[in-house]
This record gives sequence, structure tokens and C-alpha cells, in this order.
Amino acid sequence: MALPARLMLSPLPEELEFIALQQTDILVRPHFTMGKIRLLSGSYGPFRATANIELPLWVGKYLKQQGKCALVPPSWLNPDWLEEKLKQEMSKPEEFAPLPFRYAEIAKVFLDIAPEDVPSPERVRSLLKDIREVRQAKTRKGLALVDETELRMTGLGSMEINELRPFLIRAMGVMRVLASVPEVPGTQDNSFAAGESGSRMEEDW
Amino acid sequence: MDNDYWSFESCLSEQQKIPCTLKLEVGNHGNLLGASESDLHVGGKVSIPMWLAPTLILNDWLDFNIPPPFMQRVKRALNADARSVRLSALVGNGGEWYGFGKLVADILEESQAKELQGVLLTTFKERFVDLMDQAQHFGSLPGSAADNMGDRGSDFREGLEMTERELFLLGQESAKAVRLWYESTDRKEH
Repeated sequence: MALPARLMLSPLPEELEFIALQQTDILVRPHFTMGKIRLLSGSYGPFRATANIELPLWVGKYLKQQGKCALVPPSWLNPDWLEEKLKQEMSKPEEFAPLPFRYAEIAKVFLDIAPEDVPSPERVRSLLKDIREVRQAKTRKGLALVDETELRMTGLGSMEINELRPFLIRAMGVMRVLASVPEVPGTQDNSFAAGESGSRMEEDW
Repeated sequence: MDNDYWSFESCLSEQQKIPCTLKLEVGNHGNLLGASESDLHVGGKVSIPMWLAPTLILNDWLDFNIPPPFMQRVKRALNADARSVRLSALVGNGGEWYGFGKLVADILEESQAKELQGVLLTTFKERFVDLMDQAQHFGSLPGSAADNMGDRGSDFREGLEMTERELFLLGQESAKAVRLWYESTDRKEH
């Protein structure tokens, strides 16, 4: 594989954002009127000024960047809801509060390109940061319980999983090797046996 | 870490030396085994690299002792506080303490092997949460702000052995990627 090493371990945060843009549908309030447009991914429209229309997030982002629409934030992206989740997060040290799987990506897109459409964006931003920190502390506690076969943490978001992934995969691999039963001495050289070695090398490369 | 022929880490673990006692006369081959004289006698002590040891031991030409990085003294220290032991000092810079330990465990008898593997595994588990913590901390700090960390932290980092160092890098890189992503913006400047 000719990919740079850092791309082989896990998707980049940018790639996760891309996936979130594709998968999430949001409400958009266009500032213009236009008929249906047909794209490879589907047809969107017809657009009517000030009438909400459901579109994939990436279309909404594109239109917003052109200044052609306002975005309607999802129901969870407001200070009250997030504050409640933060409380929940603090009061239950053992579990993660249920948040949308791609909350980090979606919130980032909204706060980045459309802060004026989000109610009190600065508070939302700081609440999200607090939530992230509380959850990171929990992740650390959860990691102490990991062993070579499994790790139980439910309710992590995609970005959080992704951040752990390279480290955790490697660490569990190390633990698996350390816990494995020794190979029976004398049988480990079988890979040099005739016929097998050639095909094995091709597979490995 | 794994026993793969192509793995650099396994090469590095295999070049650690294990102290052995001869069980047969070796004439004229002393310098091959790293001794100063050319004839070696029964009971003589030699250090054999780990990749060579299993074959010689299996053929009953050598007896081996537990190598210093896994002796009782070290085990006691690990028991007291695994995080304050400098594993890198035990196997030399860039050495593989875990990999070496696993290789030694593989040639021990079952009960001893189990015990040593237990030590390796608990040590790894006790250290890796701290490791993750520090790696994330370093990844999420911009630039040189990371220099002003507490002393205990820097001692711990210097004591990391090779596998742990790689893990540290992995954790640091992903934390850095996430930080950069949070800082990036697609907002068009008007």
C-alpha cells in the first residue's frame, strides 16, 4: 500500500466530517427560489425562498458558504439540551450520556460555517467542550478495565472512537501477544517448508 | 512484538542477550560466543543472543538463567509501582522489554512462563493508561507548551521502552489530528 503511514491507521477527522456531511439530513431555509436540481446523489428541490426544505448537510453547507440560505440546527444543538446532557454526564460517572453518534462533526460544521444560525453559539461551543472533557476523563477510566480480548464502552461518538482507535488497536495487540500461549518449540520453522514459503510471501506483500 | 520474520520489533527483541551456562566443551569456537578465550569448558558462562538461544537450549547444550531485566528485584519494583520503573534502563535505549520478556517466557517451563507473562501483562496494563493520558496531553497541546510538564511525567516518559514509545506516538498523533481538525475552518473570509 502506498498510503502514508498516518492515513493507514484510521480515518482522519476530516474524513469523518465528510461522512457526516453525506449521511446527515438537515433543514435548510433558502434565500432564493429555484426549480429542482438533479445530481448524481439524488435530486434536490424545488427551492422556495423562506420555506424549509430537507437536504443533505453537504448541500446545506455548500449553499451556506455561498450565502444563499440559513441552516436550521438539529434539535439537540442548543444550550438547554446540551446543558442537560452535561449534567447527565457528570451525575453518572459510569456511563456516557446518549448523544448523536456524529455529534462532534455536525456541531463543528454548524459552529464553523453557520454560527449565526445556532442559538447562543459561544455557550454551545463551551458546553460542547465541557462535555468532551468529561467524556475523555470517563474514557480514561474505562481504559483501565481493558484486557486483551475486549473493551466495553458504550455511547462513544464516532470522533471519540476514532481518536482512540490507533492506540487501542496496537495496545490490545500487544496484550494479546503477551497473554498468548508459547508456540511449541520446534514447530515455529514450518513457514520455511517447501511450497508454502513462496505463496506466503506474496500474501504478505 | 509478534514473532514475525519480517518484523523489526521482533528482530530488536531477539538481539537481547540471555546469560547461559555451557553443558558441553566448545573447542576453538569461544570467540563466536563472545568469550575472550577460544576454548570454553563445561560450566563456563556465555551470553547468547535470544534468537540463537532456543535452539541451543533445546539441544541440551546450554542451561539458561533468567536475564537481569526479569529478575526478582525488578519484579518487586514493578509490584510496588509499575509506573515508576524505568523499563528503558533495563533493556537499553530502544530495547524491547515486553518482546524480550515474551521470548524468555516462551522457553521457560509452563508455571514459570505463566508467572512471567502475568508480570508482563499487569505491567503493561498498569502503565498504559498513564501512557495514553500523556500521549493525549502532548498531542492536544500546540507546539512547545508541552515542555512545562511535571517532573514525574518526564521521568515516566524517559522510562518508556520501545513498544510503549510507539504507542505514545500513535496516541499523540491522533490527538494532534483531532486538535487540528477542531482548529480548522471552512468559513469563507469576506
